[in-house]
Amino acid sequence: MARPANSPSRDPLQPQRLSNGGLVDRSRTIEFTFDGRTYKGHPGDTVASALLANGIVLAGRSFKYHRPRGIISAGSEEPNALLELRTGARREPNTKATVAELFDGLEATSQNRWPSLDFDVMSVNSLLSPIFVAGFYYKTFMWPAKFWEKLYEPAIRRAAGLGRAADVADPDLYEKVTAHTDVLVIGGGPAGLMAALAAARSGKRVVIVDEQAALGGRAIDDAATIDGRPARDWVRAAEEELAARPDVTILRRTAVFGTYDGGTYAAIERVADHLPQPKDHHPRQRLWRIVAKRAVLASGATERPIVFGDNDRPGVMLAGAVRSYINRYGVVPGDNVVVFTNNDYGATTVTDLIRSGANVVALVDSRPKPSETVSRIASATGIKLLNGAVVTRAFGKKRVSGVTVRTQTGAEVKLLCDLVAVSGGWNPNIQLTTHLGGKPAWNDRLQCFLPGALPPSMSLGGSVAGDFSLHKALSGGAAAGASAVALEGAKPITIVVPQAADESDAITPLWRVEDHAGKAFVDFQNDVSDKDIELAEREGFRAVEHLKRYTTLGMATDQGRTANVNALAIMAEITSRTIPQTGITIARPPYVPVALGALAGHHRGKSFKPTRLPPSYKWAKEQGGVCVETGLWLRPSYFPRKGEKDWLDTAKREVNTVRSAVGICDVSTLGKVDVQGTDAGIFLDRIYMNNLKSLPIGKARYGGMLREDGVLFDDGTIARFGDHHYFITTTTANAVRALQHMEYCSQWLWPELDVQIISATEQWAQYAVAGPKSRELLQKIVDPAFDISDAGFPYLQVGEITVCGGIKARLFRLSFSGERAYEIGVPARYGDALMRKLWEAGREFGACAYGTEALGVMRIEKGHISGPELNGNTTPHDVGLGGMVSKTKDFIGRVLGARPGMLDPNRPSLVGFRPVDRSARLRSGAHFIAQGVEATAENDDGYMTSVAYSPSNGHWIGLGFLKHGPSRIGEIVRAYDPVRGGDTLVEVVKPVFVDQEGVRVRG
Amino acid sequence: MRIACPYCGERSLDEYLYSGDATVRRPDFASPTAQADFVKYVYERKNSPGQHRELWYHAAGCHAWLVVTRDVSTHIITAVEPAKDVALGTASSMKDTA
Amino acid sequence: MADSTLQPTSAFSHLEPTSLPGIAIEPRENFTMASFAAGKGRLEALAAAIREAYGVELPRRPQRVVGNGIVFVWLGPDQWLAIAERTNNRDLEVELKQRVAGLASVVDQSDGRVIVRVSGPLAREVLAKGVPIDLHADTFGVNAVAITHASHIGVIMWQVDAAPTFELAMFRSYADSFAHWLLEAVASTVPAAA
Ligand SMILES: [Zn+2]
Repeated sequence: MARPANSPSRDPLQPQRLSNGGLVDRSRTIEFTFDGRTYKGHPGDTVASALLANGIVLAGRSFKYHRPRGIISAGSEEPNALLELRTGARREPNTKATVAELFDGLEATSQNRWPSLDFDVMSVNSLLSPIFVAGFYYKTFMWPAKFWEKLYEPAIRRAAGLGRAADVADPDLYEKVTAHTDVLVIGGGPAGLMAALAAARSGKRVVIVDEQAALGGRAIDDAATIDGRPARDWVRAAEEELAARPDVTILRRTAVFGTYDGGTYAAIERVADHLPQPKDHHPRQRLWRIVAKRAVLASGATERPIVFGDNDRPGVMLAGAVRSYINRYGVVPGDNVVVFTNNDYGATTVTDLIRSGANVVALVDSRPKPSETVSRIASATGIKLLNGAVVTRAFGKKRVSGVTVRTQTGAEVKLLCDLVAVSGGWNPNIQLTTHLGGKPAWNDRLQCFLPGALPPSMSLGGSVAGDFSLHKALSGGAAAGASAVALEGAKPITIVVPQAADESDAITPLWRVEDHAGKAFVDFQNDVSDKDIELAEREGFRAVEHLKRYTTLGMATDQGRTANVNALAIMAEITSRTIPQTGITIARPPYVPVALGALAGHHRGKSFKPTRLPPSYKWAKEQGGVCVETGLWLRPSYFPRKGEKDWLDTAKREVNTVRSAVGICDVSTLGKVDVQGTDAGIFLDRIYMNNLKSLPIGKARYGGMLREDGVLFDDGTIARFGDHHYFITTTTANAVRALQHMEYCSQWLWPELDVQIISATEQWAQYAVAGPKSRELLQKIVDPAFDISDAGFPYLQVGEITVCGGIKARLFRLSFSGERAYEIGVPARYGDALMRKLWEAGREFGACAYGTEALGVMRIEKGHISGPELNGNTTPHDVGLGGMVSKTKDFIGRVLGARPGMLDPNRPSLVGFRPVDRSARLRSGAHFIAQGVEATAENDDGYMTSVAYSPSNGHWIGLGFLKHGPSRIGEIVRAYDPVRGGDTLVEVVKPVFVDQEGVRVRG
Repeated sequence: MRIACPYCGERSLDEYLYSGDATVRRPDFASPTAQADFVKYVYERKNSPGQHRELWYHAAGCHAWLVVTRDVSTHIITAVEPAKDVALGTASSMKDTA
Repeated sequence: MADSTLQPTSAFSHLEPTSLPGIAIEPRENFTMASFAAGKGRLEALAAAIREAYGVELPRRPQRVVGNGIVFVWLGPDQWLAIAERTNNRDLEVELKQRVAGLASVVDQSDGRVIVRVSGPLAREVLAKGVPIDLHADTFGVNAVAITHASHIGVIMWQVDAAPTFELAMFRSYADSFAHWLLEAVASTVPAAA
């Protein structure tokens, strides 16, 4: 079809680009590629506007039927024009061409087509469409399951998958920011700008957020006039005023995607998506958590299509989008246009088209009589007006070439065109009002859902409130902004609302055209047609939530923003109910897609969690120590030496050194809590199961804490430094929880006690010095004034001493290894130096450093419990500590721990194991089965919790829980491990493999 | 959700830990019905909608245990008191201890 | 401790005092610090003892107060942190134990925490990338104290002056992780090279 004769001269390289108008910078031309071909555009373009400027509408293939699809919208509601942008590690699929801003060198690729967009093999699905109807996934792939996994799923993914993710790690940075504000304004259109101005002029803190690169919203899209000037001038002035205020933050390219309790909102800022790559050290996207005392939602509205035959042909576009392309981007998306509307606002598109030099073939208005607005437009432009008429079908394949119109008399006429501008009315963008469960309310006059009950502290401005005219948007926004700050205590100020037109919002509903031919799509992105809704109804899926899941309607990345209300209305029509009777649409976050990287922010890769470094970490790395994560801590697990072939080799050597000479281990990660107060002793007696009253000053004792249900919670040592001064240790894993538990007890259970609890974990660098030569080594460190002989400092003695010429220190004679051993603590700033000193001094004794591997081996050799035994199921009796449990006092866990079931000898309890074949390896997790019975769950007698190769015994050993364990010493049972194919005979032994008499600890 | 710690001020949920029902009190271990009392105390809860009195811990803040009165259907919080004061019977709702 | 053969080492393996347009960062470790908690029923007596010894009023809400050569930082209900320069072997644990004996439990924290000072017009913008609380001058302000977290690391923080200068104290073992986050936040805030 020829370009209309009155069309102004245009750039031959961008045939649809208007010679003026819009926010694009025509002084600069930038190049980009689409499916390998180079095109030109301007700064200020989106990929969609640049493609349209080049005469390209066809942007992709549809999800299920692979039908050619074109650009429909000019915003984040776009269901069709999803592209892959960039290449390599930054390749991102499913990017909306209508949102993505153009930059020089941008590479864009269409998706969902093979081998090319023009010729797509899978479009044969269209021919098979009878089997691709709603519910097809459920019906076709229900059975058999293995076919689903092996055959159907991969095939479907290959055929249908929308876009490919990059296959290398995301190279970009993301960050998270928290903002606090008095008023958050969501949307930078006329209503949002007025709200922000009203709030900011009162001196309150304001954050205003808009999805687009430029503020102004529909005032820019519609080339409106405000105070007699072009709206863009007013927008610029408003922006400047806001930017000049120190307490106003303007966030462009930012979408609020979630409303949460307590006035918290989440937003995603596309910091660098409009650049080839982010600036050095700067993020690609920024996740905002905005805490707002008040929020004004001015999120606007989204136009909905009308459902008619082959309404998905490229070139069928929303009327408002056509106006956006003309007025915001200076692009007229077609030359011969049919405008199809059921409302006055849609009809105004005619004016914009004519002004742009396009030929309006006809205004097809489904309403029987021309409204005042329509009459005015028709007489001013002289275009052909067809009232009471509908478009029944679009034709053309990769681009619409015409439409069939059924006139008021029922006659069918064909009109040739290359663009159909459709308006079925507008849906206010109410999603953020429903995230906390607010139910929308149907408005019959406006034929749309308006927000119902609002989240606390939210108010509305502009078309989201149903105020569609520019005048109403400006005054509504001003009122919302003023009342928000008034509620926050601002003095009332007078806001002059600028002059603007009060356009008609008249609409007569038309959801789908009756008796249409061809496929009529409701949800473009998920390829759901009106027939699918009919099928859903026939099969009983009438409720909205069922309809949605049965047809997949509204479940794609566009969240069905152009589809949901149409589907609901069609379901209402089919079932002869009203729309509110049929249902409502409730949205959940996120309102727009959010990159997972943005949710992680700084916390990815090695920064996923913070890392805690023990005091000797630097030294350990210098020594070649291999570190492992234990909780947040990075602890050395072993210190390999030349010639050792693996960790086991090293651990053996470390164990042997400790047992024969001396070893040093950083145990600073143990939780340390200082407990003081005149009732400190009473307090500790109530939180530990064992008796602590008799603990003398200068001594330490092992203790266990229970949960109130009688299960073992944690263990550690309690040292007493004074009448009212104790110092306890907890396991590394439970350090935080134990402190929390103690604070619970002191604040909530027994607030009458005089006890002060202060964490001292990090104050002390604490090293275990263990082995027969440990005292000799320590004598080189401890200042001579302190007697650490066995007489002066016996087993379980504790004391405040000094080391290395006056550094204050604490010495504890404790042993986890079973050898003569000490723990020495110094203020953490001296931790590195003390470790180096110990190392130096230890040379003559053949000292080694040992890590968590050797530590683990030695505690298993001694039968000391640790994490695998403190597993949240075990009682003191289970682990052989029943004798420690006091019967004379109240303590946490006393009463419920004494329930018969908790003391039942039938409960698996702790014993040791060694393989009958001494060369066999043991594995934790193996279950114990008596010999001669079948390996069934009924015959399960318990399980292995910890195993180690014992260098002291020369074979593998284990600890585990066995029914009636202590009375089965000497019995041979099976350690059955079907998962790893293990079935080993093991002998039940006492859970002590070294120094059964326990004499070594005493020296 | 945001909780106003009586000591620290309003903070986001991620600073707090929820820790159960604040209406149950630890029974007397010496009572003849101690075992039944403790079973009730530890395990028995009504999962009712509407207003609850809950224990929360300001874990990432001042380490105060708090009694929070919250409607579990709407998340609307009507009182936050130091657990210590509630336990001692000296609490007055929402009172700033400053 | 000048005679000792042990020398202290920094908890930071790579954080140096740094000054960039709009922001300066400085690790601080050379202090003596002790926490103390009032004994039951001893709050007023403790406040009087501190007033007597240092001429300041212990803050009862999240504030800090600067005395003569000492700073008291609110650390939770009835708890404070006392901080002083570590000169002439000053040891606040020892000093406070003498002055508040029988009134409060004193615990040495000189090595438990390290402090990072963040100062300059960009400080609030940088800190907002990890600190979830409102640091606006109208709500926080000079001498305000908060116990919160920064990039998932627990911190006690306070504002020193209106530059603004903030100090954040964290457990020693987190020093490097904190510095890593802070430097990343600074790099993404100061204007990038084009
Ligand atoms: Zn608090």
